[in-house]
Amino acid sequence: MFDTILYGLTIGAILYLFSIGLSITFGTMHIINFAHGMIYAIGVYLFISLLPLLWGSFPLSLVAAVAVMLPLAYLVERFVIRRLYGDGIDYAIIATYAILLIGTDLIKLVWGSGPKPVSDPIGIPIQIFGTTVQTYRVVVFLCAVAVFVALRVFFSRHVIGKIVVAALKDRDGVRSLGLDVNKYFSIVFVIGSGLAVMGGVLYAPITVAEPYMGFHVLLLAFAVVIVGGMGNLTGTFFSALGLGQVIALTGRFYPAGADTMVFVVMTLVLLKDPIAELLRRLVGKHGIGNFS
Amino acid sequence: MALIAVAFLLLTVVMPMHWLTDFAVFCILVLSFDLLYGYMGRLSFGHVLYYGVGMYAASLALVHLAPNPFLAIGAGIFASAVLSSALGFIVVRTEGATFALVNLALNQIGFWLAMSGLQAYTRGEDGLSSSVRAIGFLDFYKVPVAFGFMLVCLLLVFGLLRMLTRSPFGILIRSIKENEERVKFLGYDTLRYKWLTFVIAATLAGFAGTLHALVKGFVAPGDMGPLENARVIFAVLIGGAGNLYGALVGGVVFETMINLLATNIPRWEMFLGIMLLVLVFWFRRGITGYIADLARKFSRSRGKPAERLP
Repeated sequence: MFDTILYGLTIGAILYLFSIGLSITFGTMHIINFAHGMIYAIGVYLFISLLPLLWGSFPLSLVAAVAVMLPLAYLVERFVIRRLYGDGIDYAIIATYAILLIGTDLIKLVWGSGPKPVSDPIGIPIQIFGTTVQTYRVVVFLCAVAVFVALRVFFSRHVIGKIVVAALKDRDGVRSLGLDVNKYFSIVFVIGSGLAVMGGVLYAPITVAEPYMGFHVLLLAFAVVIVGGMGNLTGTFFSALGLGQVIALTGRFYPAGADTMVFVVMTLVLLKDPIAELLRRLVGKHGIGNFS
Repeated sequence: MALIAVAFLLLTVVMPMHWLTDFAVFCILVLSFDLLYGYMGRLSFGHVLYYGVGMYAASLALVHLAPNPFLAIGAGIFASAVLSSALGFIVVRTEGATFALVNLALNQIGFWLAMSGLQAYTRGEDGLSSSVRAIGFLDFYKVPVAFGFMLVCLLLVFGLLRMLTRSPFGILIRSIKENEERVKFLGYDTLRYKWLTFVIAATLAGFAGTLHALVKGFVAPGDMGPLENARVIFAVLIGGAGNLYGALVGGVVFETMINLLATNIPRWEMFLGIMLLVLVFWFRRGITGYIADLARKFSRSRGKPAERLP
């Protein structure tokens, strides 16, 4: 049982790292950013190519892959997402989806369409509470907790973080203070993209890298962002860990339903207000009484 | 209407007829999505769910009840109508990104049910094959007959939607797209109209699904996967959203492109992505919108008053 919970925490950690960027773009620009999956997937493939060049060092290649992806993320933000700000969600969805398609095809062109495995960089199992577990998974979870703490500090202490938090609440209010909101959004967008690459690279040894990995993680991350609340960074952390447990526990008892259970939870969360309203109406109509 | 029939018949000269049969089915799906997105302004990422429900209901009816095509169509329409009426009650209460994503989640659940949850009935990934008995001259194994039948179905759906969008009901749902608050102020219960439109669109998508099951004789979960929605959305945008002719042009152009690209250009996904970017940034009104602009410019340059577009 303990290894199932640990697996859930690992999956949750990866989902958290990926979802931060998505949640920020959702909260600030009201845009569903499919291009986030492109940054994630290309980052992982880049990491695989950099690994032999950098003497097989996992951390060094991770840093290098993130460093290479940051300018690309900036370009996506500057030339696609910012141009579509305020045009409604449909055009943004289509444009960022197009970028995801281009990125997927680019991966197939450069790296081929077959899956690529990445070996576990630590490999030594340890004993926790009498159960043998992979050390690597514990490290991944601790990384996510470290990122969570660092982001908490960044958003509550650093001036850029404070401006972004204020703009999440009231964009026009911050703009009328004479601050260039777009500049700060760019910065957090790039940070979010870097964390997505990090999440992807950390996930690669647990599964394999394949061209459509961006699509797959995006669907799950939408659920994380919705359950946690759009633009709510603390909520994202807890919803990612919670949904990680949903995946792990469903997977233990009914493997085929693991990912779908996440969407069941997401649907219930999304529909809690409409269902409550519907029930209230039905009850009210039959004269049993109005609870509201 | 006659124009559409003539256009489709003319296309048989340049394209194989079984392509056009598929195009007609796809166009019905695109038309149903256009009602929801183009006319009412609700972008759904899970419209294909109802296509899949119609598809499986028709196929199951063919296998278990009787190989009668009309029974299959009835079963598919009934199943998608019932499901969309129930889900629609809840779904139409959401807006914007939430509406798009809740539909996506429902589609994912439906896809999973077809894939593994209800494997005993749907045969999962292997897909479900069915056969149709010929009724009189209506033999779906003859390509020209199948093509003719699909074309008639397409014209029927087109006629129905044209009637609907030109009626006061059509004006009302377009007003909901522009500004729902004001429609409420006028005293309309917008929720009821949104629900009705959702159900009509979903049922028509289910109808397209039944035709898919009839013409292919084989259905698989891949046909209702959540990513299939992208094809429908792109087709509507290429043609021009909020215009029934646009949906038809978009459906035909998009499918032709995919068929040609997938066989001739190995990097078709990249090509498609680049084209979509061009579409979003410089070509938003789609092919029909562009033609309308051109026609207006042309008539103005000849000194005639610009014609008002319907």
